[in-house]
Amino acid sequence: MKRTSKIIFATALFFQLPLWGTAQGILGGHVTGNVQFDGQVSRRDTVIGSNDVPEKLLSNARADILYTNGNFSAGLRYEAYLNPMLGFNSQYSGQGIANYFVSYKTQTFAVTAGHFYEQFGNGMTLRAYEDRYLGLDNAIRGIDIVYRPWNGVTIKGLVGQQRYYWDTRGLVRGFDAEVSLNDVVKSLTDAKTRLTLGGSFVSKYEGDETVLSDVSGYKLNLPNNVGAASVRMDLSHGGFGLQAEYARKGQDPSIMNNYIYKNGEALWLSASYSQKGLSANLQAKRVDNMGFKSVRSVSGEMLYINYTPSITKQHTYAFLSMYPYATQSTGEMGLQADFMYKFKKETVLGGKYGTDIHINGSLITGLDTTVIGGKGTDGYTTSFFGTGDTYYGDISLEVAKKISSKVKITATYGYMVFNPIVEGHEGDLHHNHILVGDLTWKINRKNVLRFEAEWMGSDSHYDVAIDDKRCGDWIMGLVEYNFTSAWFVSISDQYAYNDGIGNYYNISIGYTKNATRLQVGYGKQREGIICIGGVCRQVPASNGLTFSLTTSF
Amino acid sequence: MKRLFLLFVSVFILANILGSCDKIEQDDYLVFSGAAGEWFDGSGVSDHSQRAIIEKYTGVRCVNCPNADVAIATATSQYGDKLIALAIHDSSSFTRPIGDTPRLSTEDGNTWSNYFGVRAAGEYPAALISRTLNGSVWDLFTPTSGINGRVDNIINTATQVAVSVDATQSNDAVNITVNLEFLQTISDQMTVTLLIMEDGLKVTQRQADGNDDENYIHNHVLRDVITDVWGADIDCTGQSGEKRVAQFVYSDYKNEWNLDKCHIVAMISKKESREIINVAECSIE
Repeated sequence: MKRTSKIIFATALFFQLPLWGTAQGILGGHVTGNVQFDGQVSRRDTVIGSNDVPEKLLSNARADILYTNGNFSAGLRYEAYLNPMLGFNSQYSGQGIANYFVSYKTQTFAVTAGHFYEQFGNGMTLRAYEDRYLGLDNAIRGIDIVYRPWNGVTIKGLVGQQRYYWDTRGLVRGFDAEVSLNDVVKSLTDAKTRLTLGGSFVSKYEGDETVLSDVSGYKLNLPNNVGAASVRMDLSHGGFGLQAEYARKGQDPSIMNNYIYKNGEALWLSASYSQKGLSANLQAKRVDNMGFKSVRSVSGEMLYINYTPSITKQHTYAFLSMYPYATQSTGEMGLQADFMYKFKKETVLGGKYGTDIHINGSLITGLDTTVIGGKGTDGYTTSFFGTGDTYYGDISLEVAKKISSKVKITATYGYMVFNPIVEGHEGDLHHNHILVGDLTWKINRKNVLRFEAEWMGSDSHYDVAIDDKRCGDWIMGLVEYNFTSAWFVSISDQYAYNDGIGNYYNISIGYTKNATRLQVGYGKQREGIICIGGVCRQVPASNGLTFSLTTSF
Repeated sequence: MKRLFLLFVSVFILANILGSCDKIEQDDYLVFSGAAGEWFDGSGVSDHSQRAIIEKYTGVRCVNCPNADVAIATATSQYGDKLIALAIHDSSSFTRPIGDTPRLSTEDGNTWSNYFGVRAAGEYPAALISRTLNGSVWDLFTPTSGINGRVDNIINTATQVAVSVDATQSNDAVNITVNLEFLQTISDQMTVTLLIMEDGLKVTQRQADGNDDENYIHNHVLRDVITDVWGADIDCTGQSGEKRVAQFVYSDYKNEWNLDKCHIVAMISKKESREIINVAECSIE
């Protein structure tokens, strides 16, 4: 839809509502929303590799407005990238109504027309979602219907096109069905064992295009319709849980897999146990050629139809998260184990206030593949249980203990192995040891002081030719002070003291009042990638001012 | 349980409808992409004419199409070699053969029809002249009238690229030579699309009065696109005065085609916009 027609739609939506209200009796609803403005000023720094910004000021802004009245709701989102902040795709440049919808929902039926987000199961066949910090928005513009004919049965169906910056691309159709057996079969209603089964099918359509093969004079015979299907289960019994999903995808030659015709498949398993003070979780997955986009020739973060769940821990401390893992939808195998335990109060290890320990480990490898050809072939064969190169591995032990009514300390040790090939670089594996100490002192009800010290020792060395500025040995310190419950100030510095490069200092000040938060920061940002749920974006180096304003109403 | 069973049957049926994804057999992963040609410095083109091509989308069950044939025949006779006609049978319902007659549709024609919005519009006959735009949309029109004005607009502009094409048959192949001479500098990437069309095909055609004419003669019928459907890249700098020549070999023609009544057409296009900037035609010697 052209920008003009979007504006007409939105105008009609909000100015015609009273008229509809007269006819349909929907006056008296309420409007909610939120606004976010992020700005950035950056200048040249030859050491960290940042450049002057020609526009001087870059900004990302958005306003979400939602009207609800009983079962009816309608909303829109205005976005302005003038021009996009560093690390966000320049194709976002511009402003306009990026998202609009109307929706009607009852207990048994829901229909949404316009832009919507949707997920089938774990998302292995379809996940339309948005993450503003990744600059990712693969909303579908079309029709989404959810129907619950009986208690415990949910059917979803959708058709639409995916957002591509300020445009829409592709054609996606899908449906999903989920049945909770305990709700459907009366004799199982009160059973301790709970079982939910589900399945989904998603297909995309693309027209013909010319993609030349490696054989002179021949081009690829591309499929116009590509489908992906999955089955899943969710079983629980008391504190035990077992979830599984298996997905397959038909022939889908694309730029992501170098235009090979191999079918895709993915398996995800999760077993868990929890009780008061203890939880354990074991996850495994195998992904083979499961990248699924609505346009075969588009690389980058946009137009993904599906999503492969990440099974690495989302670390929060700076050095533990310096090497986030990007899910390799072309092929990987992984395992993750997670264990949390709370030593009770008044025990030897628990002391007066108790002690929390959290152990997490994950290992991701490539697949064991045998190459049989390149573009225009089946590509490769795999051994299902075979593993290839190590892509990523980490293990961390975190101990958190309150040592008095006002002081809590957290100590963390982490060990990490990282293969730069997952980010497209050649090079040796990086092996890093990380120590973190975190002390929080609650001075009184309105004043909290937090100290953080981190160290990372690595066998990697900064090499100008590769220019990976994360290499080397690092130390970091941070002091954060929250006062009057409204203000906070934070000062930090990361310094590469051996085999590395860079000194990244930052200071930020924030103020919160009711639903409004203002934050201003000044400092240096290291070049790298940020990942959320295994989905990543590049972040270039920057040196300057950042500010952010968020509010909701 | 009965309702649950019905639900799953419904879901199963829906899955099969949606699940009709394409399966391509291993032997069919690659298809002939069309002759790409090899370009060399040439000796130029003696005829610097600016020509136009009218691509008529038609069908044997299209009752108004014979009227368009009359209008196009009148125009080609009036403009001589300045206007080249091409009849494209896509895969609309109008192209379903009447009785036991050959199907004239081609995959390439269908690709063009989809791209230029002919099938989506669903109005036959429809035509484009040299793939020009009317504002921001393709200038599709009903070619029972309105041909001359559009042709004049094209052939009265200064020629940017002069083009000639020659074709000879030897053994089991047709050797095609395309000569270009740039009369103006063009910065766009250029392509040449070669196609073969046939005259004199006697195939039943439905008439305006609803009757079927078994003796109807179809001319300018697209048989095949020799290059890729969107053309082969022209290896050139695009500088004014540049002269290039390329040779193509075509051997995929079918035995039932009468090469004596076939013509080769060379369309020179801007790759990005797909606008045709000149065109030439020749018979096969």
